[in-house]
This record gives sequence, C-alpha cells and structure tokens, in this order.
Amino acid sequence: MKKQLLKISFVVFSSLQIVACTKSETMTIPVVTVSTKVVKDLIADTVLGLTSSGMPYSAGKYTFYSLENNAIVPSTDSASAKWDLAFMSTRILTNGGTSGTALGGAFIYSGLFDDLKTISADSIFKTDNAPTYAITTGSGKGWYTYDQLTSLITPLAGRVLVIRTASGKFAKLEITSYYKGGVTLPVSASDVEKLTKQRYYNFRYTYQSNGSKVF
Amino acid sequence: MFKKLLILLFFIIPQCLFSQAQFVKDTLFTNGDSVVVSATRSERKLSNSTVPVTLINAQTIQQTGSIRLTDILKEQTGITMTSGFGAGVQLQGLNPDYTIILINGEPLVGRTAGVLDLNRIALGNIKKIEIVKGPSSSLYGSEAMAGVINIITDATSKIPLEASLRMGTYNTKDIILNNGLRSKSVFYQGFYNYYATDGYSIRPNSNNRITTPINRLSTSQQIKFNINDRTSILLNARLTDETIKSNITVSNGGVTINSNGNEHNTDANLNATLNYHFTPNLKTSFRSYLTNYISKQDLLTISGAPYNDLLNHLFKRIENQTDWTLRKNLNGIFGIGAVWEGVKSSRYDSDKLRKENTIQYGFTQWEWIPTNKLIIIGGIRFDKNASYASAWSPKLSMLYKLNASHKIRLSIGQGFKAPDFRQLYLDFTNAAAGNYSVFGSAQAQKVIGQLNSLGQIGGLYNNYYLLKALQPESSTGIHLSWEWTPTNKTFISTQLFRNDITNLIEVQQVGTYISGAQIFSYLNIGRAFTQGAEWEFKQNINNQLVLSGGYQYLITGDKDQIAEIKAGTVYTRNASNISTRLTMSDYIGLPNVSKHKAQLKINYSNDKGLFANFRIMYRSKWAVNNTNGNQVYDNGDDFAKSYYSLHSSMGKEFTNGIAVQIGADNINNYIDAIHLPNLAGRTYFINLKYQIKYKH
Repeated sequence: MKKQLLKISFVVFSSLQIVACTKSETMTIPVVTVSTKVVKDLIADTVLGLTSSGMPYSAGKYTFYSLENNAIVPSTDSASAKWDLAFMSTRILTNGGTSGTALGGAFIYSGLFDDLKTISADSIFKTDNAPTYAITTGSGKGWYTYDQLTSLITPLAGRVLVIRTASGKFAKLEITSYYKGGVTLPVSASDVEKLTKQRYYNFRYTYQSNGSKVF
Repeated sequence: MFKKLLILLFFIIPQCLFSQAQFVKDTLFTNGDSVVVSATRSERKLSNSTVPVTLINAQTIQQTGSIRLTDILKEQTGITMTSGFGAGVQLQGLNPDYTIILINGEPLVGRTAGVLDLNRIALGNIKKIEIVKGPSSSLYGSEAMAGVINIITDATSKIPLEASLRMGTYNTKDIILNNGLRSKSVFYQGFYNYYATDGYSIRPNSNNRITTPINRLSTSQQIKFNINDRTSILLNARLTDETIKSNITVSNGGVTINSNGNEHNTDANLNATLNYHFTPNLKTSFRSYLTNYISKQDLLTISGAPYNDLLNHLFKRIENQTDWTLRKNLNGIFGIGAVWEGVKSSRYDSDKLRKENTIQYGFTQWEWIPTNKLIIIGGIRFDKNASYASAWSPKLSMLYKLNASHKIRLSIGQGFKAPDFRQLYLDFTNAAAGNYSVFGSAQAQKVIGQLNSLGQIGGLYNNYYLLKALQPESSTGIHLSWEWTPTNKTFISTQLFRNDITNLIEVQQVGTYISGAQIFSYLNIGRAFTQGAEWEFKQNINNQLVLSGGYQYLITGDKDQIAEIKAGTVYTRNASNISTRLTMSDYIGLPNVSKHKAQLKINYSNDKGLFANFRIMYRSKWAVNNTNGNQVYDNGDDFAKSYYSLHSSMGKEFTNGIAVQIGADNINNYIDAIHLPNLAGRTYFINLKYQIKYKH
C-alpha cells in the first residue's frame, strides 16, 4: 500500500496537495482531490415509437461520452480517442478492443462506490471483444437485472464500473437508474411508458485525471 | 333458460313423498365431537387428535356462499391464496407446491408451475374439509410438506335430491344438482355442477379481462356397497372439464404479443376401495386410484402463429392399509403402496414421449394412550423413488389433556416434496425472450453435452459440474399448540410453529450458449425457514350469535441470503438510488408472504332457518418484486399494499325445503389488479335451493 502511494506520488500533477504529516512518517502522503460528477438522463438509443405490430424501434445509435470532459462526444468522432464510454440501450462500450481505437477497458467491482478508494494492483481490466464486452451484458451478469414479469431494468446495487479511459486514466462509475428522471418506473406503469422512459442513463462517476488508481 | 330449468325441477319433484326438512342447528361447538381422518390416516375424534386440525363443515361452506374450494380456504386463519397459474394455496408461508390436495384421501395431480388451481374443485357435494398444517401432520408422502387439505364427500348423504341455482355479478351462473339413493346396503350420491362466468375486467380502460370467460362442468359419482357386516366397497368417480377463453398478453423485452384461443382442462379421478373387518380390532382396506389431468392451450398469436401447450399427467396408485388395535390403549397402522406416474408435455423434449416415475412406499404409525390424559403417536414413512433419491418421513406427536379446559399438543416431523417432472425433464427454450434455455436436471448434462459437441456452448459454470440426481426438498417442522376452553361458550387456541426447509430446488445458471444466451437447470441449493404464531377464538355470545376470529404472525427467510447479509455482501439502494449495504432490519424474507393476516366473523343463525354472517379479512403488505437491484427482498422493494375485504351473506331455509340466500363479496370494493387478479371488485349473488330429505 505504501509502495503504491509512493509510486502514485510521482505521477500526480496539478491536483496534488500536501497535508500535515506526523514526524514519525518519513514520506509525504499525497491526497488527491477528485470530484464526483452526476450525469442525468443521458439518452442511450431511446425508443422512438412502436411499429404497427407493437415492436419498439429506435435509431440504433450509440451515445458517445467523455468522462474527462463530462460531455457527449459527437458520433463523427467515434473512431477517435475523444470518448470513453458509448451507450446503446443496456450495452456500454469502452474505447478499446473491438469497440474503439484507444486504450479503454473496464471491469465490474462488487462493493460500494465510496468504499472503492484504490483500484487494487491485481485488478484485471477487460477489453471489448464483441460479442462479449468488458462491461458484461445480460441480466444479472453485468450492471443490471431485467425482470421478465415486470419488463423493468434495475441497476444492480453494490456494483461499480471501474473504467480505464481512452487515454489510459481511471474512473469509477455507479449507475443509479436506467429511467428518465432517475426514477425506476413502478411495476404498474404501462408497457408504453416502460418502453419510452427507459434508456436514460443516470449515473455518478469519479474521474482521476492524474492517471493514478486512487480516488 | 336456467330459471326454466329450475322451475321444471320443482314440478317434477314429488314433494309429497317426503317429510319436511329438519334443520340442523349449527353451533360452532358441534365440531367438538367431529371425526377427522387426515391427521392420523384413521378416524379420530377431533378432540383426541394429536395435531391441530381445521375442520370446515358443509354448513359453514353453505352459509358463507362458497362454491369453489378457493372461496372457503381464503377465510381460514393462516391460509393465503396465491394468484398466477390459477389460485393456489399458501400454508404457513410456503408455496402451493408444498401442500397436498386430497379428495377422499386421494391426491389431485395436474400442477402448472407447482400450482394446483383450486378453482377446479366444486364444493356442492362436500361433507367437510380437513386442513392439517405442517409436515409433522401426516404420512401422505410427497407434497405434504406444508400441510394437507383433504376434501371429503359422503356417499351416505341423507339428501335424495337437491337442486340449486346461483346467479351473480359478471353473469356468473352456478347450477348444482345432487341426488342420492339409499337402500339398506347400497348408497349412492351423484353430483352435477355447471359453472360459467363472463370474467371481469378490473383494469381501467382495458378490455383485458383478468378472469377470462370460463365454462366448467363437474360431476362426481359415489357408490357404497355394504356387502355384509364385514365388507364394504366404495366407488368414486369425479370429472371436471373446463374451457377457459384466453386472451393473453405476453410482454417480453417490451414486446407485447396478444394471443387468442382456448385453454381446455380435464381432470378425471377414479377410485375403488374395499374395506374388510377381520375382527372389530383388525381391519384392512385396499385402495386403487387412477387420475388423469389433461391441459391444452390452443392459442393463435396476433401474427397468426399458433401457440400450443399440452400437459398430460397420469397417476395410478394402489395401497393397502391395515389398522390393528392390539390393546385398548395401543393400536397400529401399517400401509404399503405403489405409484406409477407419467407426464407428457410439449415443454419436454417430445410431447409424444411420456416421462415416467415409479414410487414404492410403506408406512407405519403407532398410537399409545398411556393415561387418559396423554396420547402419543409416532410414525414413519419411506418412499423409494425410481427417478430421484428416496425419502424418509418420520413424525412424533402428542396430546396432553391438562384438565377439562386445557389441551397441549406437540408435534415434530419431517415432510418432503419430490422433484416434479418439470424440474427433471423440462426442455424449454424461450425464443421470444433472448433464447435462454431451461433443462431439467435429469437430462441437462446429456443435452448440454450434445450441444457442446455441436460447438454451441460458449461456457460452462461451476453449477454445471454440480448437477446430479435431485434430492427431494425436505422440511422439518415443530408445532406447539395450546387449546383453552374456559367455558363451554369460549374457545381459544394458540399455536407456535417453525418449519426448516433444506434442499430447496432452485433454478440456477449452468452455462451459456456461444451467443451469450443463458442456460439454466435445477439444483438442490436453497435453505429457508418459516415461523410464526396463530391465535384463534370462538365465542358464543348467545344461542344465536357467534363471534370468531383468527390471526397469524409469520416471518420467513432464506438462510443463505441471511448469511450473505450478515457478511455484508448484499447491497440495496437508498432514496437517492445510491448503493448501500443491506442490514437485517431491512430484510423481508420470502416474497408473497404477509407478516400479519387476520379475520373476524360474526354469525347469526336461529332455529327458524334464518342465518346471516359478516366476515372481514385482513392481509398486511407483501413483497412482490425485486426492484432495487439486489436479489433479496427488502424494504426497498416493490410491495403489494395491505388490504381488507368485507363479505356478507344471509339466507333463510324454509320448512318446505326451499332455501334462499343472498350475499355480497368484497363489499368495500378493494381492487389491486396487478397483485390480486383473483379478487374481483364488489360482487353479489343470489342462490335458490330446493332440497328434499328422507324421513328419519
């Protein structure tokens, strides 16, 4: 742990702060200030309508997002390192492997967002290798569950997406809701409402711009 | 049409042949000397039964206006009706799979997803219903884990002819014809019932009927021959045939598919019993039983694609039971039997091939009465199964009569539920929802092995290697009850119970296809418990008025989940959707289980044939869906709201055999279309009955 902190202290740049240290300690402990950002209602290929036979249809397009800039990236930049994550319905791409040209990767951590203070050294980041993805798709396997009876998608509690960004830096991300306004619909909501108010990502994330694995 | 029929019946009945009807005065305490059979597989006075038995007599069924088994069960303490795949029964918090339903001691078959739809059972010819809760109650074999419900009809009914017509809300019609014949040695009872309803729509702005139009015909024929003083033969035949018009809306992945068509269910039961008394102290009975349940769904989806589903369950059983009274205070029962059963289903690999199982079993039970205050019963049953592991069911129960007004009962025992055919043989791939597959445990390894050799398997989970012959699910129960009758007008009982269930069979993912679609099978992995308390009372206020009620407190839990919660690895979400650690105080336990359930009834009846009753049922909230992102049920999940419903009925039996009854159910019009689809809004009924009784 100490070794790791030491190593980190070399790569920490602007946000580095020195705090008081006791005489007994011979090294300075860097405390990194990172802020947690909240993203609301990021659309991810929302349903545009229903066909005459009742099938939902959408544009079939990803929404590209930069964690570094906390902003949507135009899809014309999809072949660049400008985006970190791309969202389309329940699928989330990282910018690497079969999905992109950059250094992106991810893994899913079981535990609380606030408890994840350091990405442990032995963590293995996966990269996208379609049809399998670093952020596993499928109910109960990655970040959400899908209930066939209620047709509702619920983010799994206690799951943190640990992201390696396009530029090789790190972020942690917790999805809080898949529905518009951040409120999971009641079971009794109509099928149409369940279709049209889903695919709105609400999440919070912490981006570590200094390249360290400490949040 | 039906009115005409009824009028016709009135005319063809030669009324003058018979004497006027005699009223049976109903006091709740007539139960005191009633005879029950379900608790010990032998006739015992209710007051001498070592396990508590709930007894519902024909009069109660009639006066509450109950026509199907569901109607009367939902008014009992500690019983909850479930919805989904018909109306099932939940005893002491355990799912419908775990309660065996018997008609005259013979089991009904034909369960969908473990649920036996109790609407199938008409009550028009029932003499009584006995309910025994807990696994320590009986020696009935598989399914008798949560309890036993035994429906008893009587060939020796004293009513030669009875006809009734009931009309109710939603164009509901129920026509009953009962006829009986008796000579010195031959007794016959015939029962015919026609039931039809239009169903109802309680979803606003929707044509989607919750209960779809149903036509149901039931008949039961029962003949008893008393050949001589020592020998009697009993023949029972029962047939229920129903057609349900289905307009099903299936939502999968947000895609809604409408299907139209019919569901057709036939339930046939045949039973022959020979009873022989060697001596007054030694008697034996041979029983043979055949039952067949056939359920067919023929639907057309909106796109014109047919959807057919077939279930054909055939069950045969022979059994011999010998009752031997060794001494005045010691008697024993010995039984052996064999079961052959087979199921054909379109959800198995082929609906042409019947999946089979055979069971051989033996049981013995001993009753010892060391003093006039104490009765002890011990018994054990062994079931040897061909398709899965065998099972022992031991039990021990005792009754201690402290004095005239206090009785203590204690029973401990084990029950089991065999893996059902679905868990063994299901071969189902849901093309409509991501092509996931579920394979029964008996052939999962073989089927997945074949798929693997075809290169279709993407990965196998550790659970795949754990697949082996399924063990029966097993439950150990302990029940303690205290019955107190301070005066001959008051009855109070308190019961404490705990059931520990192991080897629960649960669906688990065992692998994935190349495409990533999941593959599931069944494994014995779950552990759960249910425990609680029940209070019941009856109070005769005067000769005409009786107040009665009951309350059940119930807590349940999944032991593995509790261990995970205590280890801090279960998460939930707070009000702002942020993940937090789940604590035990927020843990709910098993879904669809209410912590509190209560009922209160007031009954009036006088000696002029007039009766009226008013009943209120209460059920506290219950968890229905996991909506906060963990796999356990906790306070953050989706609940059905607590509710109460009011019911009332009144009627008059005239001395000429005519009886009129009117009633209203769910008077407060409580509706929860999602969670209580079987509870219609406020409904009314009127019932006319004409009855002829023999002279004594």
